[in-house]
Amino acid sequence: MKLMSFKYFKRQRILALVLILVLASTLFSITVSSLLGFYRGFTAYLGEGEDIVLIYNRKSRTPFTGSVPVYLTERIGAMNGVLVSSPEAIAPCVADDEAIFLRGIIPGDFMKLNQLSVLDGELLELSDADCMIVGRNLAERFKLKLGDKFLIHSVLTDQYMELRIKGIYESHSAMDDEALVPLYVGQWLVGVDYSHVTLIRFKIDRGAVSPSTIFEEVAKEASEPSPARDGGEKPPIDRIIPGVRTSFSIEDVGVEEAQGLMKSYMDRYGVTREALLVVSVLIFLLSSASITAALKIVLTQHTGEIGVLRSIGASKRTMKRDILIKLLPWSLVSSAMGILMATATLMITQENSYLLVLSHRVSFNLDLFSMATILILVSLLVSITILRSDLK
Amino acid sequence: MTPLAMKMLFRRGGTAGSALSVALIVAILTSMNAGVNYINLQAQELGTLVNIGETYIIISQNSTSVSDSRIDVSLANQLTRSIDRYVEYSLPQKILSATIITKSGNRTLYVRGVEDPENFFKLGRAYVNGSIAKGEAEANVGEIVARILAIDLGDEVRLTVNNNAVKFKVVGIFKTLTQLDGEIIVSMKATMQLTKDNNKLSLIEFAIKDKVDGEEAINIITELLPRDLKVVKAQQLRDFIQNMNQQTLTFMSLWSVTIYAVAAVASYIIATRLIAESRDEMTMIRALGAKKRMLFTLVLIYTTATALLGSILGIALGTVGTQTASTILRWIWPSVNITPFLEAEQALQTILLTLASSTLGCLYPALRSARTRYMEQPL
Repeated sequence: MKLMSFKYFKRQRILALVLILVLASTLFSITVSSLLGFYRGFTAYLGEGEDIVLIYNRKSRTPFTGSVPVYLTERIGAMNGVLVSSPEAIAPCVADDEAIFLRGIIPGDFMKLNQLSVLDGELLELSDADCMIVGRNLAERFKLKLGDKFLIHSVLTDQYMELRIKGIYESHSAMDDEALVPLYVGQWLVGVDYSHVTLIRFKIDRGAVSPSTIFEEVAKEASEPSPARDGGEKPPIDRIIPGVRTSFSIEDVGVEEAQGLMKSYMDRYGVTREALLVVSVLIFLLSSASITAALKIVLTQHTGEIGVLRSIGASKRTMKRDILIKLLPWSLVSSAMGILMATATLMITQENSYLLVLSHRVSFNLDLFSMATILILVSLLVSITILRSDLK
Repeated sequence: MTPLAMKMLFRRGGTAGSALSVALIVAILTSMNAGVNYINLQAQELGTLVNIGETYIIISQNSTSVSDSRIDVSLANQLTRSIDRYVEYSLPQKILSATIITKSGNRTLYVRGVEDPENFFKLGRAYVNGSIAKGEAEANVGEIVARILAIDLGDEVRLTVNNNAVKFKVVGIFKTLTQLDGEIIVSMKATMQLTKDNNKLSLIEFAIKDKVDGEEAINIITELLPRDLKVVKAQQLRDFIQNMNQQTLTFMSLWSVTIYAVAAVASYIIATRLIAESRDEMTMIRALGAKKRMLFTLVLIYTTATALLGSILGIALGTVGTQTASTILRWIWPSVNITPFLEAEQALQTILLTLASSTLGCLYPALRSARTRYMEQPL
């Protein structure tokens, strides 16, 4: 018996099912997008790709609190296969009662690693002791204009300082939520001497050099320091920053791929991409009890109509198949509406900088895998509930 | 009749399932809250690893920078005397942005005028190459400035502020590993000459004595200040951590709105299910003389009671769930040490908000049930 032509479902009675599916899908989408967005943003914070390698302090509990000898920049930078090197002092600070991150850099080196386009003003120079350039998002958040003076309070040391805005830039990365200052300003705010930085980033040619060969070089440097360069023209860093060579223990220094290192920080707290996806799926499944209840109500409210069709010869199996065919599209459309609603909500919050994690805007991207997951989960849940229902 | 009717409705088969559906939603929120509490506690613990300084500055209330701050010299002198017993030192300073002209070029930088440069450098633990400026025509240059502008000891530099130019002899180059290394330090009188203003300072920097209760001293000092001045702590670790935690809480708030919306729809479903599956009971209650308002009340009480039961169960499930998950994680990866926890006020807040959203969710079905003419339905 073919039941397709019988339109026995009343739309008003499906409302509860549609509502709960929309909201459960919204909840899943918001959770998965924000958690994965944060994960992606954090792991890409110091650079994406296998060619970005870091020298960092292995004993620090966060990426912002360690220190390594700055002179390794020159030593490792001279290795064959190391294309660019950038020593950086990352300083957590407070300005205008809000948390921000300042990054002390050697402008020339840093800009070889991160492409910055100037939206207003000029780029930073190493000699700009009283200036900073700010990322687009940071400028929007604090309503900063060129020439504004900004009072910065250090978090790690007992320091405050005033800096003038020299430029506003855009990088399409986490840098847009930060301010860039000359390396020595970062060192003041971090509280390290001129011989140390938070980390050193390198861009390498993977065919010529690897993190392990860099580590071997660093280990060699720790046991037998190479002689200091004598004569010749000094690079800008040496002309302006009075650093001295310091001895260090190889146990304190690590060399790792930037993304891998950030992942390892997250791993310490059991946070992996897979774990976040599982959490999101669990959240959906926990809200699925209401979806099942809503489906049962739809069936209960149509007991009369189902009874009539059963009495004129429709078997339970045929009925279930027909109900599934009629309700599944509704469910999938509801779920898609939930995804759209979540995307719209997240886009609004992102545009208005409502959501910040570690003072950086979370970039939400709902990937195809997440969307497919929610649609598959909804289809399975609806199918199982209908097929297992006891039609009277 | 209400207790009897309630008993009848609660004894239905679906009550446990309805409470469980709310419980599972609340469990999601509880476990997330417990996890976030742990993360926030971690941030606070990291903060304890940092040494906290006791330096404060007094600047004008409306200034967002130190160079724009203005404090009357007479008031500053009076304040310095008043706070003397609480502070280790107090240093009135005048900071201005000036153009420096040297043999190698010009640039803009900060010039800081201090009353007693010797005491200033001593407190700042500065290493000075040369001597400390004594007169109005002598200056000490920070090491970074000296390197940028290739300034040597004995060089003459000219400082200009708004067409007022003053010549200085560089008598010392200092290193403090602070922002001072990027500045020029001169006497207070010299900065007054540069600005042609003898009445205004920029700030008073001070540090609380070791033996004094810092918080109490700051409260007393704040009370001593006129309305147009404020005390600001130099190092703001606590504010930073609070701000970081606030960012997480803002995210949680947005996320919780969705959870409570799901809870409201779950209650809508519970109420609709009750009405759909208890037609006979409702008809009987109406037949026994119950008014429409009573049916509305019954649906409302049933749904909120189920939500209350569900939220308590959900809090228990969420807390136990996160504890179990963290224990399992510790077994699998011993390096992962997560101890989520829930605070009592969070539990109470969750219960109250779940009840509020449940009440909202069940209003429409409850109203609809009150309007239904059950008498016309065959028993």
